[in-house]
Amino acid sequence: MNLLVIGLNHRSAPVEVREQLAFAKTSLADAHTRLLAASPLHETVILSTCNRVEVYALADNVGEAARSVREFLHDHHRLTDRMDAHFYEHRDDSCVQHLLEVACGLDSMVLGETEIFGQVKDAYSVAQVAGTTGVVLNRVFQKAFSAAKHIRSTTAITRGSTSVGTVAVDLAEKIFGKLGKCVVMVIGTGQMSEATARALQSRGAGAILVCSRTNERAEALAAQLQGRAISYDQWPNEFPMVDIVISSTAAPHPIITKEKLGPLMKMRRQRPLFLIDIAVPRDMERACDELDGVYLYDIDDLQQIARENMAAREREIAACQVLIAQHVRRLADWLESNRGTVEDRYRRRVADSPVRNPASPHVS
Amino acid sequence: MITERTFLWIAQAFYAASCVVTLRRLRAGDGGAALQRANYFVMITGFFFHTIFLYLRGQTVGRCPLTNLFETQAFIAWAAVLFFLLIGPSYRVSFLGAFTAPLVLVICLSALLLPVDVVQATPPRHSAWIEFHAAIAVVACGAFALAFVTGAMYLIQERQLKTRRLTSSFLLLPSIEQLDVIHFRLLIMGFTMLTAGMVGGMISYHIVGHWTIPKIIWASSVWLLYGGLVVARGLWTLRGRKVAVASMVFFALMLVGFWGVNLFQR
Repeated sequence: MNLLVIGLNHRSAPVEVREQLAFAKTSLADAHTRLLAASPLHETVILSTCNRVEVYALADNVGEAARSVREFLHDHHRLTDRMDAHFYEHRDDSCVQHLLEVACGLDSMVLGETEIFGQVKDAYSVAQVAGTTGVVLNRVFQKAFSAAKHIRSTTAITRGSTSVGTVAVDLAEKIFGKLGKCVVMVIGTGQMSEATARALQSRGAGAILVCSRTNERAEALAAQLQGRAISYDQWPNEFPMVDIVISSTAAPHPIITKEKLGPLMKMRRQRPLFLIDIAVPRDMERACDELDGVYLYDIDDLQQIARENMAAREREIAACQVLIAQHVRRLADWLESNRGTVEDRYRRRVADSPVRNPASPHVS
Repeated sequence: MITERTFLWIAQAFYAASCVVTLRRLRAGDGGAALQRANYFVMITGFFFHTIFLYLRGQTVGRCPLTNLFETQAFIAWAAVLFFLLIGPSYRVSFLGAFTAPLVLVICLSALLLPVDVVQATPPRHSAWIEFHAAIAVVACGAFALAFVTGAMYLIQERQLKTRRLTSSFLLLPSIEQLDVIHFRLLIMGFTMLTAGMVGGMISYHIVGHWTIPKIIWASSVWLLYGGLVVARGLWTLRGRKVAVASMVFFALMLVGFWGVNLFQR
């Protein structure tokens, strides 16, 4: 009796392939029961996200099981071409290791991202409700969750933001604390400034003001962000009440200079001011941050911090692997010492009933 | 032999343990809720022994234990820990203890190691006013000590934001706005108590008539400096970095002046 994972991810398959194999959320439970009925598996969990489709299974004969899982995926998605070249397979210890790497975000496109953890949890609970997990996969997945939590909290694998928007939010929070009272001004509309404003909003930033040389664009973005559009010549008047400025105009020269900013800082009683300059060429004179209480970050600064955070995560991979190996060892020991009981159980079940049922979720 | 000083040494052992816990938290690189609780517990235990020391010393000298430089330093440090214990949890200032424990250690260890624990010829106990004014002024110093600590944290965090060089401590330290607000509150508390202490001092002068010029110059300068700072911050003339720097400099000046006054009196 062995563990098996068969699947594909963003590294092994292009998006055109992944989207053909992805399971719709609504049909996932049904897919679990159909897979179990169609293949010689004892237990199974299907994990389907935008970056990966993986089938975890417990089977007597893994070679045969792998073939039938591939057949199932092919038939279920009504594929015309064979996708075999894109699949990877891991068995037993390396299957458990792979699951842990996935749950910790080591196998993700953005190293250490935490969304995948919730996705694995969801996949497991769908399988559990569908009744396709049993004593082994229950144990493996539950241990994987506690191991992933342990690894995430004892290493720095999830630490530090790795995108421009979230780095800006981190900085804003270290300047202002809670962002609830912060007024954000977006000067110039664009994808990046919108993303940054949204990131600030998602962490509770207060009012948002949008201004652009074309009023329609300002109004459109303001409507999207539930903010207020102001006319382009108005922004210096609103400035004293603003805490965070995101600028991304196409202006050839800096629009915010130290000279202009000095008197404005006095009007705002020296409250800190966070300037985020996403424009190239830059909208804000570098000398602005010589003023007390002004914190100026341009796109290069933000990207540099995001890169450094990513590099720091990469340096944590080795530490994660050491911990993963320990958890894999522990699970392997449990599997080894319970192998007899589990095999017995499934043999009896197969003998008892012509219709195969998954094992009961608990072993006594 | 166990003396009162032994309890102060035991308290130092706990403050040192707190420094070790903090280093571990910094190395772990996270807020470490469990370690943070552990740190608070260690500080409370240290504070407990610290209080026993002050109580026993008070029994020995038969008054508030502020008769010499050694006792006064121990008292200032005690007040600083008191403010940490009160402010740390209520404002959720992460890593405040990390900066408090080392400062307290420096103040106490210098008192324990330098030959400043000498019996002073003190005038007989006349009035509770004398003790009140001294004690409340020293507690005010404790508030200023913690203002020094939050000022240091502010400068570190502000430096990282300005230079765009974010170290691993960046995400652990509180925001500069939070530090600025707490710092101001500590200054107000300290200044209010110092004012009460000065008033108490004037009353006790009328009752006892015991005073020295250096001490009055020292106390008035401290009162004027901190008073000016509180007003400037209150009117938004000064804010942030400048307030933090001024508060740290004033605290250092206050300690130096205090040593000077005491050595002069001796």
